[in-house]
Amino acid sequence: MSNFIQVLILGLALGGVLALMGSGLSLVFGVMRIVNLAHPALIIAGAYVAYWAFKLWGVDPIVSLPFAAIILSIVGILLYKLVFEREAKSAKYSEMSVLLTFSVAMCVEGALGSAFTNTQRVTSPGYATDAIFIGDIFIPTGQLYAGLISLGLIALLALVLKFSRFGYAIRATTQNREAAELLGVNVNLVSLASFAIGIALAGAAGTLVSFVFSFFPAKHWEWIAILMSLVVLGGMGSILGTVIAAFLLSVIAAFVGAWIGSTWSTMTFFLALFVILLVRPQGLFGEKPELT
Amino acid sequence: MDSSNVIEARKKHNDNLARGNDKTRATWFPLTLMALLLVLPALQFLGNYNYLLHMVLFTASYAVMASGWNILGGFAGYISLGHNVFFAIGGYFAGMILARYGVSTIILAPVAGLVAGIAGYLIGMITLRVRGPSFIISSLALVMIARILFDNWEFIGGANGVALPANELTVQWAKLPYYYAFVIMAAFAVWVSYRIKHSKFGLGLRAISKDEIKAESAGINTRFYKVLAFAISAFLVGMAGAVWGEYLTYIRPNIFLIILVSVNMVLMCILGGKGTVAGPVVGAIFIVVFNEIFVATLGASEINILATGLIMAVALIFFPLGIVGTLAKHHRLPKILNWD
Repeated sequence: MSNFIQVLILGLALGGVLALMGSGLSLVFGVMRIVNLAHPALIIAGAYVAYWAFKLWGVDPIVSLPFAAIILSIVGILLYKLVFEREAKSAKYSEMSVLLTFSVAMCVEGALGSAFTNTQRVTSPGYATDAIFIGDIFIPTGQLYAGLISLGLIALLALVLKFSRFGYAIRATTQNREAAELLGVNVNLVSLASFAIGIALAGAAGTLVSFVFSFFPAKHWEWIAILMSLVVLGGMGSILGTVIAAFLLSVIAAFVGAWIGSTWSTMTFFLALFVILLVRPQGLFGEKPELT
Repeated sequence: MDSSNVIEARKKHNDNLARGNDKTRATWFPLTLMALLLVLPALQFLGNYNYLLHMVLFTASYAVMASGWNILGGFAGYISLGHNVFFAIGGYFAGMILARYGVSTIILAPVAGLVAGIAGYLIGMITLRVRGPSFIISSLALVMIARILFDNWEFIGGANGVALPANELTVQWAKLPYYYAFVIMAAFAVWVSYRIKHSKFGLGLRAISKDEIKAESAGINTRFYKVLAFAISAFLVGMAGAVWGEYLTYIRPNIFLIILVSVNMVLMCILGGKGTVAGPVVGAIFIVVFNEIFVATLGASEINILATGLIMAVALIFFPLGIVGTLAKHHRLPKILNWD
């Protein structure tokens, strides 16, 4: 029984980080109808910010989180202006936009790889390797902190979306872009802002990732599929759905890892993606019958 | 009214149109190119041109794969980022038989292609239920699943792979069988693309890429069409994979199942012009030459990834129709490149 709870807790702890990683992706898809395949690569860029801040100046990754978010949001604004602005105007999904984000992902990976090489890195503040024991159950403090901070940030995002005027505009644009535009919402500004917020969330997630997982530039390929499985299961564009899917899948993955073998735990996400696409392509909370 | 007269008149009209097309077509160019490529290895009598042969072979192998990708991604409009899975299936199928029973992969290539094609058919039955971004994502997940399976399947060597026996020819002539295999496969792939483009099947695929719902209501069996397109494109890619393994004398997951392989297929089609017959070949030539120059001058593979990403972004933003497509749109396409 204690073993069962142990695995459950480890799964939940990872679920928090994954939820934060996926929520930015979901936000961007909701507003811009762009599947941002560059998201995981930008998460790794955020992880490098935390890594170098820790290595050079001894700054704790949690302290560098807001800075990584700001730096990455600037990157996001530049990317939007340079690459995605014309795509966003069409307000309709196109294959080209996915390929465009794919090429951005390659650029980010190549730039990070040539700057920092492909060696595995991990930020190691004291708490990253520590654990809290309750009876014979242990909770790794690094994952616990990361999970809690993730949940805090997601809650903040949810509050902004729910109660601020700006959040209202974002939700209106997500639901119906043309109608929002007719009612006086500046959809271009909303797109720009939500893209910047989405990428800032990637940066924030990156700083947490830097002490939870080891990372290297080429690792984002694995994360693309993992994050996509969350976003697809949750229903593309639904942030609540993404969060629920993140917890669900990471708990399942933790059990698969504990009972069958750790190689197969990442397989859970990929197989889940296939099964969802087969059985319920719109995901748990998606409304559109089919994505076109 | 006698309907046979009408049908006959229409047939005659169509024949005339076809003949008119043929007059503007420079059929001699691909044929001459092919003949030149077939006699090119004679250079080996004069000196060592192994590097040149390797480059042509490499380009031809990518021309096969890009043409294969183009059938699904260009004609039917389903962008797959996971076609290297079929490259791996073809490579491993033929490679394992070569390692165990010593049958040359060049003979096995069509069989390996067929195996990849069947795999493509089955996978297509599942993943082609969804469209747009969901399909692209599912194709990425396919690569990840395949990578875990190939890395952990001990029978096929796991992550370390299997060494294959090299052929017994001298260094001067060792590349020759593979060279001919790839050049002939490339010609075959172009011929298949041409035939598909000029068939009812190809017309159906184009209708699917324009508007699938309308295509379906016009009476096209869209599901069968696109799954078949997936299978044919997997067949071509798998065939290339079969010979590629023996050429490298090694099969290993990180030769076949790296994302750069499938990106190259996509990039070649987009740069050359997806949905055209000549596009993938033109794209393959450009990308291979470009990579070669880049690697020779700069070395590091990370910069190569960065450069590939940049070219792709520039091509997508400024020439979404690709070289052949953009030229054709402005009526500037040279006759020798009009293979459609």
